[in-house]
Amino acid sequence: MTGDVELTVNGASVEPAAGWTLTWVDPGAGIAQLTDGSRSVVCLVEGSGSEWVVTLRGRRIPVAARSWRERVLADAESAARQQVGPMEIRATLPGLVVAVSVVDGDQVAEGATLLTIEAMKMQNEVRSPRAGRVSGVSVAAGRTVAAGTPLLRIE
Amino acid sequence: MATSRSDGTPSLRKDGASVVAGRPPFRRLLIANRGEIAIRVIRACRELGIETVAVYSDADADALHTGMADRSERIGPAAPAGSYLSIDAVIDAARRSGAEAIHPGYGFLSESATFARAVEDAGLVFIGPPPATLESLGNKLAARRSAAAVGVPIVPGLLVPLIAGGGGSMPIDDLAAIGFPALLKAAAGGGGRGMRRVDRLEEIGAALEVAGREALAAFGDDTLYLERLIAPARHIEVQLLGDRHGNLALLGERECSVQRRHQKLVEEAPSPAVTPSQRAQLADSARRVAGTVTFHNAATVEFLLDRDGNHYFLEMNTRLQVEHGVTELVTGVDLVAWQIRVAAGERLPEAVLAATPRGNAIEVRIYAEDPHHAFAPVAGSISAWRMPAGPGVRVDAGVAAGMPLPIEYDPLLVKLLVHAHDRPAAIARLRRALDETVVGGVQTDLSFLHWLLDEPGFVAGGYDTGLIDDRWGKGPDLSAEEQSLAARAALQARAQFGHGLPHSPALSTRQAPDSAWAAQARREAVGRRRSR
Repeated sequence: MTGDVELTVNGASVEPAAGWTLTWVDPGAGIAQLTDGSRSVVCLVEGSGSEWVVTLRGRRIPVAARSWRERVLADAESAARQQVGPMEIRATLPGLVVAVSVVDGDQVAEGATLLTIEAMKMQNEVRSPRAGRVSGVSVAAGRTVAAGTPLLRIE
Repeated sequence: MATSRSDGTPSLRKDGASVVAGRPPFRRLLIANRGEIAIRVIRACRELGIETVAVYSDADADALHTGMADRSERIGPAAPAGSYLSIDAVIDAARRSGAEAIHPGYGFLSESATFARAVEDAGLVFIGPPPATLESLGNKLAARRSAAAVGVPIVPGLLVPLIAGGGGSMPIDDLAAIGFPALLKAAAGGGGRGMRRVDRLEEIGAALEVAGREALAAFGDDTLYLERLIAPARHIEVQLLGDRHGNLALLGERECSVQRRHQKLVEEAPSPAVTPSQRAQLADSARRVAGTVTFHNAATVEFLLDRDGNHYFLEMNTRLQVEHGVTELVTGVDLVAWQIRVAAGERLPEAVLAATPRGNAIEVRIYAEDPHHAFAPVAGSISAWRMPAGPGVRVDAGVAAGMPLPIEYDPLLVKLLVHAHDRPAAIARLRRALDETVVGGVQTDLSFLHWLLDEPGFVAGGYDTGLIDDRWGKGPDLSAEEQSLAARAALQARAQFGHGLPHSPALSTRQAPDSAWAAQARREAVGRRRSR
């Protein structure tokens, strides 16, 4: 019984598993056990309000659990975000920029290497998510970037 | 704790006397490392009655290893170059703390001949081989040459160094003769870094640039060489232990074929692929390679095993390996304790020299990495943390709940190891252990490990180094059952805890143990008591 609450995983509506119940093992840590009486699986529940992450067998599954009112607000917000045009490329990891392979005005193909960021001893190549023209390159080799730092745009 | 302790300078025991009688091999030992391996060495020292000194960077002031040692010394900033890789900082810390010996762990300075020499020059004992051995093995090209010279098969490849950025000096004809696909490797390399697959001759320029840069950053040397890619291949290594009296223990092989980015994720002993006659050949080759250098330490000789059962020498490491634990479980030999004891001059006893593997052991490494996104490292901090226990389970962890993960270091969180009487029992035990394991706050490779233990090829023992690329990819899509179970859990959590509570990240920080969960649980407990 979900009442007013709609559950979605990766944007698709999902029905909660019938016949399964959740028992808290360590509620302080969010650790619980799901069981249907003959099978059981340990899970970790993190989050609050309408945004949750449930970890099952090591996999983090984001679950949105929204009331009707929260749904309307979320839809309005995502409509505002929908836009075409320049695409901002941001650092997904904090690290050190070791090489910038493009300059403003370069035409790049989808998958082309834009720059290389070193984090946790690994050289991670940042690739273009689509074809386009590079603009607004705002970092240079040797700079440390935080996660979310804008790096450049693809137009 | 031992009552009689040596004073003054460390004395090596030429007589090979045993410490069991009571005197620890050293009075005080400094561990020039961090994380789980620093803790592993601290544990060995405790059992031997040796006082321990941890070193820590600014990022590790609150780390587990820092708090666990008898004393700790700050050695510099978070960036490894100024701390864990700084020879001066580590030697200074050893002097300040009065340590007699230094254990380098793995990685960082463990294979630095310069460091080993600096330790000796400071009048301290390096838990490792003589500096000259590190020098000769540190150059993988030289190691290939000396292995070939004693009749050990090596991977066909180019013995001359290619210098990244060397441009016109590339021996194109020789490159073509090796055949493609090939593997570009750093001569000073190891640990999978500075390695790039090259599928066509034309790609070599770009690959040289990337691999050279990575090699320079990781090892300070961008000399590269090219080897034919052996595929499919299994990665098999033989564990050795040598003392200062010429004794050499061969402690069996480890299977390390489950790899991503040429780095190991899962190791087992013995290998399900190696036949008794191959085992004898591997042991013979390992013994020959070991004979080309002087060492009194734990060491590993690594090989590739091709489809036809031929083996090829890859490299030899005269240090502790990350995966040493699986050998410890099947042989009962404490490799870390013996590293320390042979460094102090003890003789390996018959029990170690004749140790034979019993049963099967498997290790899985849990990393802060997202296996659904090419095993990319993930930043964050550990929220929930529950480790397995019970029969045959060993947990070597470097972190605990509430800890932020410094981005400067390797994202290894914990190694889980199991031991059982045979391989199916070990797999069943590992499955059970993984079911008990919870890591929150960041995605880890646990989802991959759960999948692996149900993967028919792995379960049957028929896998090679291509397993992750060929059979995992990005992993399976979320099943309908997984989604509906997650939805059930989220729905109930929201109903019980979701409304009226502040949006609280407290769940994931040690600084705020009074999380919304804890507060709600307490409220419920109070409510129950009242209603009684």
